[in-house]
Amino acid sequence: MRKVKKIMALALSATLILVSLTGCGGSKTGAEGNTAPKASDTLIYAQGAEPRGLDPALVDDGESAKVMSNIYEGLLKYNKDSTKVEPSLAKSWDVSPDGLSYTFHLQQGVKFHDGTDFNAEAVKFNIDRQLPPQVTADMAYASFVYGSVKNVEVVDPNTVKINLTSPSTPLLNNLAMIMAAPIVSPKALKDNNNNVNQAPVGTGPYKFVKWEKDQNIVLVSNDGYWGTKALTKNVIFKFIKDNSARVVALNNGEADIIDGIDATVVKQITDSGNKIFQAPGMNINYMAYNTSKKPFNDQKLRAAISQAINVPELVKSLYQGYSEPATAILPTFMEGYDKSISQVAYDPTAAAKTLKDAGLTSLHMITYTNPRPYNSATGQSLAEAIQGYLSKVGVQVTIDSFDWTTYKEKLKAGNYDLAFYGWIGDNGDPDNFLYLLSVDDPTMNIARYKNDQFNSLIAKGLTTPAGADRNGIYTQLEKLSATDAAWLPISHAETLCAYRPNVENFYFHMTGITPFAGVAKK
Amino acid sequence: MKVKNSSNWSESLVQAAEYVERPESQLKVMWETLRQNKAAVVGLIIIGLLVLIALTVWGSELMGKQILPYDPNYSDMSESFIPPNASHWFGTDQLGRDMFSRILAGTKISLFVGVAAVAISLTVGVILGAIAGYRGGKTDTFIMRLMDMMLAIPSILLAIAFMAALGKGLDKAIIAIGLVSIPEYARIVRGSILSVKENDFVQAAKVIGNRSSRIIYKHILPNVISVIVVRATLGISSAVLDTAALGFLGLGVQPPFAEWGDMLGRARGFIFTAPYTLIFPGIAITITVLAFNLLGDGLRDAIDPKSRIK
Amino acid sequence: MLKYIIKRILMLIPVLLGVSIIVFLIMRVLSPDPAPIVLGQHATQQAVEAWRQANGLNDPIYLQYFHYLQGALTGDLGTSYYTKSPVTKEILARFPATIELAVVAIILASFFGILIGVISAVKKNSIFDNAGMFLALIGVSMPIFWLGILLIIFFSGYLHWLPSNGRINPLLEPIRVTGFYLVDSLVTGNMNSFKDALQHIILPASALAMYSMAIITRMTRSSMLDTLQQDYIRTARAKGIEEGRVIIRHALRNGLIPIITVIGLQLGSLLGGAVLTETVFSWPGIGAYTVACILKSDFPVVQGVVLLVATIFVLMNLLVDVIYGFLDPRIKYSKKEV
Repeated sequence: MRKVKKIMALALSATLILVSLTGCGGSKTGAEGNTAPKASDTLIYAQGAEPRGLDPALVDDGESAKVMSNIYEGLLKYNKDSTKVEPSLAKSWDVSPDGLSYTFHLQQGVKFHDGTDFNAEAVKFNIDRQLPPQVTADMAYASFVYGSVKNVEVVDPNTVKINLTSPSTPLLNNLAMIMAAPIVSPKALKDNNNNVNQAPVGTGPYKFVKWEKDQNIVLVSNDGYWGTKALTKNVIFKFIKDNSARVVALNNGEADIIDGIDATVVKQITDSGNKIFQAPGMNINYMAYNTSKKPFNDQKLRAAISQAINVPELVKSLYQGYSEPATAILPTFMEGYDKSISQVAYDPTAAAKTLKDAGLTSLHMITYTNPRPYNSATGQSLAEAIQGYLSKVGVQVTIDSFDWTTYKEKLKAGNYDLAFYGWIGDNGDPDNFLYLLSVDDPTMNIARYKNDQFNSLIAKGLTTPAGADRNGIYTQLEKLSATDAAWLPISHAETLCAYRPNVENFYFHMTGITPFAGVAKK
Repeated sequence: MKVKNSSNWSESLVQAAEYVERPESQLKVMWETLRQNKAAVVGLIIIGLLVLIALTVWGSELMGKQILPYDPNYSDMSESFIPPNASHWFGTDQLGRDMFSRILAGTKISLFVGVAAVAISLTVGVILGAIAGYRGGKTDTFIMRLMDMMLAIPSILLAIAFMAALGKGLDKAIIAIGLVSIPEYARIVRGSILSVKENDFVQAAKVIGNRSSRIIYKHILPNVISVIVVRATLGISSAVLDTAALGFLGLGVQPPFAEWGDMLGRARGFIFTAPYTLIFPGIAITITVLAFNLLGDGLRDAIDPKSRIK
Repeated sequence: MLKYIIKRILMLIPVLLGVSIIVFLIMRVLSPDPAPIVLGQHATQQAVEAWRQANGLNDPIYLQYFHYLQGALTGDLGTSYYTKSPVTKEILARFPATIELAVVAIILASFFGILIGVISAVKKNSIFDNAGMFLALIGVSMPIFWLGILLIIFFSGYLHWLPSNGRINPLLEPIRVTGFYLVDSLVTGNMNSFKDALQHIILPASALAMYSMAIITRMTRSSMLDTLQQDYIRTARAKGIEEGRVIIRHALRNGLIPIITVIGLQLGSLLGGAVLTETVFSWPGIGAYTVACILKSDFPVVQGVVLLVATIFVLMNLLVDVIYGFLDPRIKYSKKEV
């Protein structure tokens, strides 16, 4: 028996040692005797998933965008508070009168992180790899960004000329995008078989150090940066899938900034002394009418249904202040948006009358079950809320809901009167939103809207040079869309982030990037 | 159960006549032993209760009446995240649905999937095992290799892969979980057949001219039935666990239906803010699985001749 | 014995081939088209077709399998559709995390399982025995992901003693030697890292270990009960040997065989349990990664992982059988196979 007792004692003491090692008091940050980054000069940003990769030509997801926006730069960049474009690697540019030639004058003395020079050859290399014949089918944004490009000429080491097949004003916005447009070191591309997903080399204020899969990506400040050097030496992107765990990490000090939070955790965060960042969103959450068949081939009926829905009230109860009610398709900060644009006014009495006269008493609605970036309340909840409004004006709505992948198939099939969708902008150009109502593809144009006047205005907007005239075209398009009521724009979702009080100058840009160069940690 | 190998076939015949137990009487003995096992009885009672709940819920659904305190699918956002109180015994979830009603509704789904999945495994497994054991030779090798291959892949990965291939949904979950367990039953049946095939009294019976079915009935079935019953009972408990696992990963029953694993999966985000949304579904799963495990253990002890002697 | 081992290894090959075929068929024939996932929101029908063509997805199925096999035999398991990184690299990056978790889990499970099992057998029908058996019963009945969630709620959410996710604080990552943080931090003398890694692994390893521990406990108890009844035990006691020695030297050693078998067989359930545990704890291992890839229809990764896992599983079974053979002199793997 003594032996057994001895073993028990051993086990007990081993357990005690284990417990004391793990210790009470949570985990502390900070290392000693280690070349690893220290807490005080490191910014930790926790997001919900890891990037697909870090090669701008080969990825298309927001998680990659945030990391890439610190490593790379493009010829242009977006202004901090809007989607207006500003010089970046190109310090100035000229556009030919026929709109077919863009000449960029490049910054001089810029080097890539691997020491090679940034110059016009590098720009040409990067664009050529995304043009035929080199472009591959999995370069998701190549045709979007460079679709109108005929070729690229190196005029001299600091001047590059991009020639287009047809005038396309959005090109400048496209060149500021984080997808496809940033310039990668040609040497790195050649050394890595044209795929720098795991070995990114750019010109930006941060350099890539390492990527621990499913755990984190470590960046360090670029000492040879041509612009204002980063204020914080190290940046670590941490991947915490669980939303609640991310909030806990923030409150514990294991993360300095987190994103992907929703309204339910705001109080928990502010109660712990942390701050909330509300970024306007470059997106639109909408309901579409199937205009290709009865009853919604009739504009009057579409308008009547829109009349029956109190959008501001709906948005307030579903999103509790974290989405703005949409008065237009375009988000308010975009060119082309105008305060004077408004949708059909809420008037349930008039709506009920029109619908009764037309004998419209039942509708078929399809929706998606999950939340989306532009709709945190799930398609199901949104559909049910609208079902409620329509029942008040005498219209019974049957809802069929599907998971996202199946839902997209159903949209293609077209068996619905009403459907829900959304759009997240790519380049901050108004055409990027409004063109959806002009294409033939029913998975993009789910209202199957076809209006020749609308389409010709869209074509005109593409080729009109930037300026007041162009903005006027898009305002006109908005007003046309509002009258025709093919969509009911519902809301623009804001992006919610949270950060610790000692973090300064953090901002989450509406295009979904998070440049950290100017962020300081006190 | 040792039978002496005898060259005298008439002696074997006599032994056979004495030895063979009718399947019915064997079950009776099992039942007697079981009744004395308190734990197993507890398990049986719990299962009875669960079946009662499931049938009641199902019956009331068929009749269109509401027997649960609340409609398990009715969502009222203003009532979300209410901790357990007098009107909502288990509280409400993130969409304002009453958790108590949802958990009761989930009983039906879990039991149904458990039993259905086991039924599939059992049927296919027994048939395959019988063919393999009876035919022997190449057929046997082929079938058993196939079973080995299925066993080489961890069952959950296999189930997930099946689900990804077949799509989400309750029926697909049943098939996936059912498929995964086939090898076990095949092995049992094949093993039983093999061990009995060689015995002299079976040979003797064959010589006399007993039809194959009689041989199966009198000699093979008694051995096999009890083992299969035990396996199936334990199989239901693991099927319930697997269903919950698939539901947790988002692959099982689709919303808005109440399935315990799915409830756990969806409530993960509220682990720190509303832990009660996670506690009750888990308890439900554990109790159900526990009940079947108790019964299965009891049955296993009941058929073990050693315990019978005690 | 050697012949037996070789024969078994040879038999592995058709089994593994079969496994790879099964997975191949499931993923390629039945699974949804990966093209929309890989090519993203803006993909045109043209681009989808072009990509399918380029990746050989329009070839007849046996040709696809043949190309795959060719590659696999030379160590090239293909490229992940999603990240465009070699599958082998993706798997190797995440494998150490799962192995570390599984090893810690099996150590916990074996240690506590055998301990509780032995004591329960020795003190049969005592309170300890009943409590232990009840605990074991609960252990096999509880869903592993729920146990993980409970541990997080209690130790992380309520007590704030332990972290709720991840493998280590990125600031404390030790220098990479083996890829196992516990080992690396000890080897490089970084005690802060060791403590942090330990804090992160305790909860997930405990959740993962529970089921196996319950099974090992039950098996140990029943094996010990059997052994303790044997004549040679009575003899040993009659000889006056101290009870402790009797239990460990004589009973346990002989009763160890089925226990070891069970431990070896737990590997399969550990791998399955790892999938769920990793998901709950956001543990950066191969289990959670495989599930994510199955859901994204990232065929090459799934095939690679399943093949790898099946190989390990089958080899472990072989290892268990071999150890079994060594331990029990009564078993002879001679020409006439059982």
